[in-house]
Formats: sequence, C-alpha cells, structure tokens
Amino acid sequence: MMPIDLQTPSGVTLALLPEILVCAGAMLVLMVNAWKHHTGADSRLAGKVALASLIPAAAALAWLWAGGAEPEGRPFMVALDGFRFASLALILIATAATILLSFGYLEREGLIAPEYYSLLLFAASGMMFMAGAEDLMVLFLGLEVMSVSVYVLAGFNRGSIFSAEAALKYFLVGAFASAFLLYGIALLWGATGQTGLSGIGERLAGGELPLMGKLGLGLLLIGMGFKVAAVPFHMWAPDVYDGSPTPIAGFMATGVKAAGFLALVRILYVAVPDAASTWQPVVAALAVASMVVGNLVALSQRSLKRMLAYSSIAHAGYLLTALWPGTRLGAGAVVIYLAAYVLTTVAAFGILGVLGKGGERDVTLDSVAGLSKRHPWLAFALTVCMLSLLGFPGTFGFVGKWAILSGVVGARHILLAVILVVTSLISAGYYLPVIMAAYMRDAGAEDPLGGRRFDRAGVVTVAVAITVILVLGVLPGSVLNSAIEIAGTLVRTGGSSLVGIGR
Amino acid sequence: MLLGPSLLVSAILFTIGVVGVMLRRNAIVLFMCIELMLNAVNLTFVALSQVLGLGGQVMVFFVMTVAAAEAAVGLAIILAIFRHTRSVDLKNINLLQG
Repeated sequence: MMPIDLQTPSGVTLALLPEILVCAGAMLVLMVNAWKHHTGADSRLAGKVALASLIPAAAALAWLWAGGAEPEGRPFMVALDGFRFASLALILIATAATILLSFGYLEREGLIAPEYYSLLLFAASGMMFMAGAEDLMVLFLGLEVMSVSVYVLAGFNRGSIFSAEAALKYFLVGAFASAFLLYGIALLWGATGQTGLSGIGERLAGGELPLMGKLGLGLLLIGMGFKVAAVPFHMWAPDVYDGSPTPIAGFMATGVKAAGFLALVRILYVAVPDAASTWQPVVAALAVASMVVGNLVALSQRSLKRMLAYSSIAHAGYLLTALWPGTRLGAGAVVIYLAAYVLTTVAAFGILGVLGKGGERDVTLDSVAGLSKRHPWLAFALTVCMLSLLGFPGTFGFVGKWAILSGVVGARHILLAVILVVTSLISAGYYLPVIMAAYMRDAGAEDPLGGRRFDRAGVVTVAVAITVILVLGVLPGSVLNSAIEIAGTLVRTGGSSLVGIGR
Repeated sequence: MLLGPSLLVSAILFTIGVVGVMLRRNAIVLFMCIELMLNAVNLTFVALSQVLGLGGQVMVFFVMTVAAAEAAVGLAIILAIFRHTRSVDLKNINLLQG
C-alpha cells in the first residue's frame, strides 16, 4: 500500500505521473517536429519518439499500480484506484497500437505531417485525465483536450474533401455534445454544491435526487451519449469514421469510446449510485436502441468501414448493457468487454487500412474476395477479428459478452440479456459474409491488396492483437478474476459473487 | 440576488442555442449557437456561485479557455471546408451520407 496525499503538489505529481509523462512526450514530439519536418523519414522519427515516450508513462503506471497507490484521506480531483490504472492501461494500449498502425498508412497516403503524432499523444493524455477524473471539472477538461485533438486528426488528410467533411461534422456534433455535458455538470453542482464525484455521492447518499440533479444527470447522459455514439445520438459516427484516415477512425472507435465509457462508469457508480433507479431505465433504453439500430443498419452497409462504424454503435449498446446493473460485476464486465473490443477493433481497422487506398471508402465485400488464397494470414486475422466482434466462443469477444450476460442476469434483468443475445445473432448476418467472401469466393484477376503490404510495425501490432484475442478467448480465468478485482476497487458492494465466471 | 431569474435566462439562452443548432444550416452560425450554449452555462455557473461559493466563477474561466481553444480549431476546420467547396453551407456538404 502506498498512500499519496492529493492535497500536496508532490502528491498530485506522483498521482498524475503517467499523464504528465504522456504530455511531456507530446511536447518532445513537437520539438522534434520543429527541427525535422520535411520528409517521410522525419515523420517516422516523430512516430518513434511518440512511441518511445509511452514507455516511461507505462512504467510509471506499472509502478503506481504494483505499489497499490491509494489516496490518503478523501480522494481529490483525480482517482487513485485499480479502476483508474486499468483505464489508463487500456488507453495506452489503444494509443500505442494506433501509432504503430499509422507508420505505414501515413507513408502510403503521402501525409507527411509529423505533428500527427503529438496530436495523438495529446488526445491520449486527455483520455487519461477523463477516465481517471474524480471531479467533474477535470473530466470536462480531459474530454475537451481529447476532443479538440481528435477534431484535427479527423481532418488530417487535408487534400481529401471527405476528411474535411468528417472533421466538420465531428467538430459541430462534438462541441454541441460538450455544451450539454457542461450544462449537466453545472446543474449537478447546483443540486449538490460539489463537483467531486465522491463528494456528490456522499451528499446524495440515501436521499432522493432533487429535480435539478435529475436534469443535470440527464444532460450529462446526453453529452456522453454523443461521445460514445449511442443511439439516438449516433448519426455522426458512420460519416465521421467513413471520412477520417483509417487509423484515426480506429482510434475514435477504441480510445475515444473507451475513455467515454470508463468516465461514464465512474460517474454513475461513484457519484450517483443511490439514484440508480433514476438512471437505469435511461441507460437500458439507450442500450436497447443502440443494439437494435446499430445491428440492423449494419446489415445494409456495403462499405466495410461504414459497417464497422455501425458495429461500433452496436457495441456501445452492449457496453451500456454491461454498465446497467450498477454492481461490481457490471463494472468488471465493462472493463473486460472494453479490453476485448479495443483489441479486436484496433486489429480490424488495421487490416482495413491495408486493404484499401484513398481513405478506404471503397473497401467492400468484393475487395476481400479470395483473400485467403493470396494472403492466408491476413484472411485468418480478419476472420478472428470478425468472430471476436461477433462474440464467437473461443475468442476474447465471447468472454466479454459472457461477462456482460452474467452481470445483467445476476441483476435480474432478463429482457436486456435476451435482446443482447438476439441482436448478437443478427450481427452474424454482416460479420460472417466477410469471412465467407475471404474464404469461399474466387479472387479476381487482381491481387486484393494491389501490391500494398503491411509494414513490419503493422504486422506485429495485428499479430499481437490476434494472439491475445485467441489466448484470452481460450484461457479467460485470470483476466476475468483480475477484472472483478479491479471493479472491486470502484464498487465495494453488490454482486461480488462470481457466478460461474472466472473458473 | 435574482437566482431564479438568472437560471431561467440561462435555460432560455441554452434552448435558443440548441434550437439554432437544429434549424440553421450555415456552419458559422451553427458554431455561434454552440458558443451561445456554452455562455448560457457560464451564466448558470456565475448565478449559482452566489449560493455555492467562488468555485463556479473559477469554472467559468476554464470554460472560456476551452471555448477559445475550440474556436481556434473549429474555425480552422470551417476554413478547410471552404477551401474545398467554396461554401460553408451544410446543404452543400453531403458527400458522406448516413
């Protein structure tokens, strides 16, 4: 145990060491950019510096986590518990994978702009502040640091009108959502006089949420709903993913969504756990709408990138289902499902990035036809990704769905569980055709990759992700147990029994 | 002073902003409506800080900083769109169909 006093400057520095190191890395990359910014090699150098600067951040995180850092007295501004450390680890993994997949992509698309990598790091630091925030104001600032960086990244392909349009849509919707979130924060503060999450929780303990607080919570949920692309706040997502550079679309689908859900779990579980009867129906409605609409509309998509965008909306529905119970099992399910989803989606967008050219807007089922004959390993990786997104037994995605189901069933909401299973079955209608096209259809005369290849960094990233998906899919025991343990640092009561999972 | 009326005014301003975002089709006007929403929230913060202490006024400074950063990036994005389409009207910006 390592108590850290968050009221002193040195304590805050220690507690925020991973975030500070990521910010310092981003500034270091900016300095490298000022010195070298002309050729593709300079861009690669900036990427390598960015990647290297994640290592000290990860080391600091490991040190805090292994040392069992905890706040001395009341938590203040930033959380210090296993849940925050797991969140940071997830965000660092998504960032590292995005950087690795960007090397080859930027070079191929002729985007020589090394500031890309420092924006990625700034976005990552914003996500880390957001996911680890113990105070609504820190959460808002983290969210804005993340969003402003990602607006720029979405429009990074300056020559492409699609990229500019994606950036504009994302910016307008994102700023609109931020205003809702901020109004929600103001009203929650007005209702309780607190902005600290645990402070709000103490103030509301046992009592009824006043009307102003209910309004605030509702506005906050709308703002977060936009950020994680839950139906009915999802309409921006397919267009924005479609127009953005593919690694950035992957980053939005993994990092931004993960940070949003982790922050949402913390708000709902720490600040307003006693108002569960108020927010649970709203969360359930959003979850059902996202699962049904996301999966049904994905069926009719031709472009694989748009299909993945709608599938990410459906996954937002699954994650909302996961956090619905408000119990320890629920928080554990969110962690484990996010881990599975992040790994799989990063790999899927990585593969998509190598399949197409010019923004991948034209990658359809025809583009993967006969992939297995010419590129058996790529076809295999694509298959594993699709099966894991589907939740097929033997992949990590199945373990995630299983954890969600045991949380929801444990909280006695059978209807939500049934809808989750049925919509997952529907999703086979768009995941399986990809696999069938890759294995059963004949290749055209042309190589589907058209001479494009993964560079070494891309191959390593996808290979590692696929290996982890398969290994944890077959041997989920340890990761299930640690997810429940991590959730236990956030929620100490309710559903602590591990019904059937983790054996 | 005047806590109720101030909160009411800020709620009305926020609603005007939301309606503006829904109805207007010019990117710059949309952006102005979003700024209106943010400033309505600022008014809420200031009004509530009469009762709840100076914390609210500090938050207003944060919000103003964030709005400035957002304006810098947002106007740059709108400029990028203008270079491509010679227009900032959203009805001309429809290449990506949802």
